[in-house]
Amino acid sequence: MDADGFIQIEGLTKVYSSGPVEVVALRDATISIGRGRFVGVTGTSGSGKSTLMNLLGGLDTPSAGRIRVDDRWISDLSKTDLALFRRYTIGMIFQSFNLIPSYSAVENVAFPLLFADVARKERIRRATELLAAVGLEARGHHLPSELSGGEQQRVAVARALVNRPAILLADEPTGNLDSRTSRQIVRMLFDLKTERGLTIVMISHEEALLREFADELIRLQDGAVLSHETLRDRP
Amino acid sequence: MRASDYVGHAWANLWKKKLRTVLTTGGVVIGVGSLICMFAFGQGIQRNIKDRFNELELFNYINVTPRSGGGPRSARLRRHARPQPAGDPNESVAVLDDDLLEELTQIEGVEAAYPEMRFPAQIRLGSREQFTLVQVVTSKACGSALVQLRAGRAYASDDANEVMVSDSLLRRLNVTQPEDAVGREIEIRTVVLDFSLQSLARMAFGRGDQRLPVSNRVYSFTIAGVLERMGFGGPLPIRSDAFVPPGAAAGMRKLVLTGVSDLFQLPEETAGYSAVTVKIASTRQVMSVKASLEERGLRTFALMDQLEEMQKGFIIMDMFLLAIGMIGIAVASLGIVNTMVMSILERYREIGVMKAVGATDGDVQRIFLFESGMIGLLGGVFGLALAWAVSFVINQVVNGFAAREGVPFIQYFSFPWWLCLSGIGFSILVSLLAGIYPTRRAARVDPVVALRHD
Repeated sequence: MDADGFIQIEGLTKVYSSGPVEVVALRDATISIGRGRFVGVTGTSGSGKSTLMNLLGGLDTPSAGRIRVDDRWISDLSKTDLALFRRYTIGMIFQSFNLIPSYSAVENVAFPLLFADVARKERIRRATELLAAVGLEARGHHLPSELSGGEQQRVAVARALVNRPAILLADEPTGNLDSRTSRQIVRMLFDLKTERGLTIVMISHEEALLREFADELIRLQDGAVLSHETLRDRP
Repeated sequence: MRASDYVGHAWANLWKKKLRTVLTTGGVVIGVGSLICMFAFGQGIQRNIKDRFNELELFNYINVTPRSGGGPRSARLRRHARPQPAGDPNESVAVLDDDLLEELTQIEGVEAAYPEMRFPAQIRLGSREQFTLVQVVTSKACGSALVQLRAGRAYASDDANEVMVSDSLLRRLNVTQPEDAVGREIEIRTVVLDFSLQSLARMAFGRGDQRLPVSNRVYSFTIAGVLERMGFGGPLPIRSDAFVPPGAAAGMRKLVLTGVSDLFQLPEETAGYSAVTVKIASTRQVMSVKASLEERGLRTFALMDQLEEMQKGFIIMDMFLLAIGMIGIAVASLGIVNTMVMSILERYREIGVMKAVGATDGDVQRIFLFESGMIGLLGGVFGLALAWAVSFVINQVVNGFAAREGVPFIQYFSFPWWLCLSGIGFSILVSLLAGIYPTRRAARVDPVVALRHD
C-alpha cells in the first residue's frame, strides 16, 4: 500500500438502482496505489471488481466517495473531461477483447488515435510499432476473426497502449484464454510495466497468476475491500 | 477527430453494409430525384416562357387603346387630345389613326408602331375551307423578325395582292409541306353587314343563318409565304393564321369587330384602328414610353406590368411542385432514420469501445452524423443524375410526339447550377436532420452497458 498513492480511492461506493431495489456493488472502498505498481484485484463474482474497474476508468460515476489520479479528482470531472481522461491517461483491456470485427489488427490498434487528432500516417506507424512490441508484426493486416484468442488479446493490449497512457486497466484479460496463453499475456503486461513504467490494475480470478506477477493484491468481497496485500516492495 | 477521418470512417462503415447502404441511398435518390425533377420542370417552364418572351421581345411591346369607353371608333376627333379630367363627358378621345401612329414613332425609345386590325373570314385552298381571323399587317412588320418564315417570303408591298398564312392553317387545309403552298391561289371570303332590301327580306323569310343581316364577299390572293404559328400568343402584333397587307385590305369589304358595340356604329364613326402596338427599343425604356403614351390620353397595356404577377405565379407553382416532391423526401428520411437506428444497434458494442478509448459524446454523434450525411450526399448526387436521366427520357418522348404535330423541340426541364447544388445540399441537410435522433441515441449510450452487450 502507498499512503500517498498515484491513484487514491476514498470511500468509494456504487449503488445500482433497479426500480425500488438497490444493489450496493461497491461499499466504502478506500485504496491507494503507487505509480508504476502492478496491482491485482481478485474476488468472487459480484464482489465489485468490474465496478471498481469501471469507476477507475471513468466509464461510470460513483454514488459516493472519490477517486484521485495523480493530482486530478476524476470523480469531479465532466463527461467530456472524463472522455479526455480515458483518452490520454487510461488504457483498457477486456475479457472479451472488444476488438472491432471489421477492422484489421493495425486499424484496431490505431483506432484510439482517431480521437486524438493524430494523422493517418502517424497512426499506422505507432500501431505497427506497438504490434511489433506485442509480437504481432506479421499479423497487422489480419481481421480479429483470423487471430487466435491470445493474439486478439495482444492486439487489445497494443490498442490500450497506443495513446501512451499512465495506467492500464485490465478486466479479466485472461478469462477467455487457456492457462499457457494467460501466463504469456500476464508476462507481457508485467514486461510492459517494467519497460514503460505503467501502473497496472488487473482483475483476475486466477490468484496464483496474480501472486506470480503482481506487486500488490486486493481482495474484494461483497463490494468491500477484504484485504490489500503487498507482494513485492518497490525495486 | 479530423474531418477527413470522419469522412473516411463514415465511408468505410457504409461500404461494410453495401446492400443496406444501396437500399437506403436508393430511397434518397428517388426522393431527391423526384424533387429535383419537379423543380427542373418548373424551372424549364419558367425559362421557356421567359426565353420565348425575350426571343419574341414581348416585354418590348405596349398595347395602346383609346382611354374612354365606346371603342376607338366612337370618337369624332381626328387628333389626339391632351390629358383630360377623368369622367369628363366631353372628354376628347385620341383616335388611333395614321397621324397618331406617326407621332408615336417620334417618342424616344419607340422603335415602331403597328396598327391592329382583324376581320373574320373563310379561307379556301383547293377544296378545303377553314374559318379564321385575318390580320392586317404591314409589309414592314411581315418582313421583320416578328415573323418566322418557314417557306416563301413576306409580301412585296402594302398594296400587293398577296397573303401570308401560318403552317398551322395550312395543315388544317390539308397541306403538309409549306413549300407546296407558296404561289398558290387562296380565296378569302369576308363577312359584311348587309341591310339591303334583299337582305332584309331574307331575314324575314329565311331560315337558320339566312336570318342574319350579312352577306359574303370573295377575294383572291396569292400565297407569298408561310410562317410559323407562334406559340403562347406570339408577338403582340402578330397573332393570326392569315395576314394581308393594309393596301389590299383597304379594298376589301369586311366586318371589323372589336366588340359588340361596333355593330351599332355608323360607318363614318369607324375611323382609326382598334388598337396600336408600340414596339420599344429596349425593355429599360418601356416604363418611360408607357408614361408618355398615358400622358397623351391613351390606355396602355404592357406585359412588363404583369411580370411581378407572373413571378408570383411561378413561386406558387414552385411551392406546389416542392410539396409533391417533399413526399418522396419524407419517405426517404424515414428510411435514413431506420438505417441509422439499425446501424447503431448493430454497433452498440463498438460505441462502447469508442467511449472506452476516449471518444466524447460529440465524437460519437459526429461519426454517425457523417454517415447519415454521406447517405445524403450520395443520394443527392445520384438523385440529380436520376432527375437528369428522367428529364432526358421525358423530353425525348414528349418531343417525339410533338414533332409529329410540327411543334419544334422544347427543353421542358432546366437544371441551373443553383438547382443542382441546392438539390445536393438539401439532400445532405435532410439526411442530417433525419440522423439527429439516432445519433443522439448513439451519443447517450452507456459505455459500461455497451461493452457487455452481445
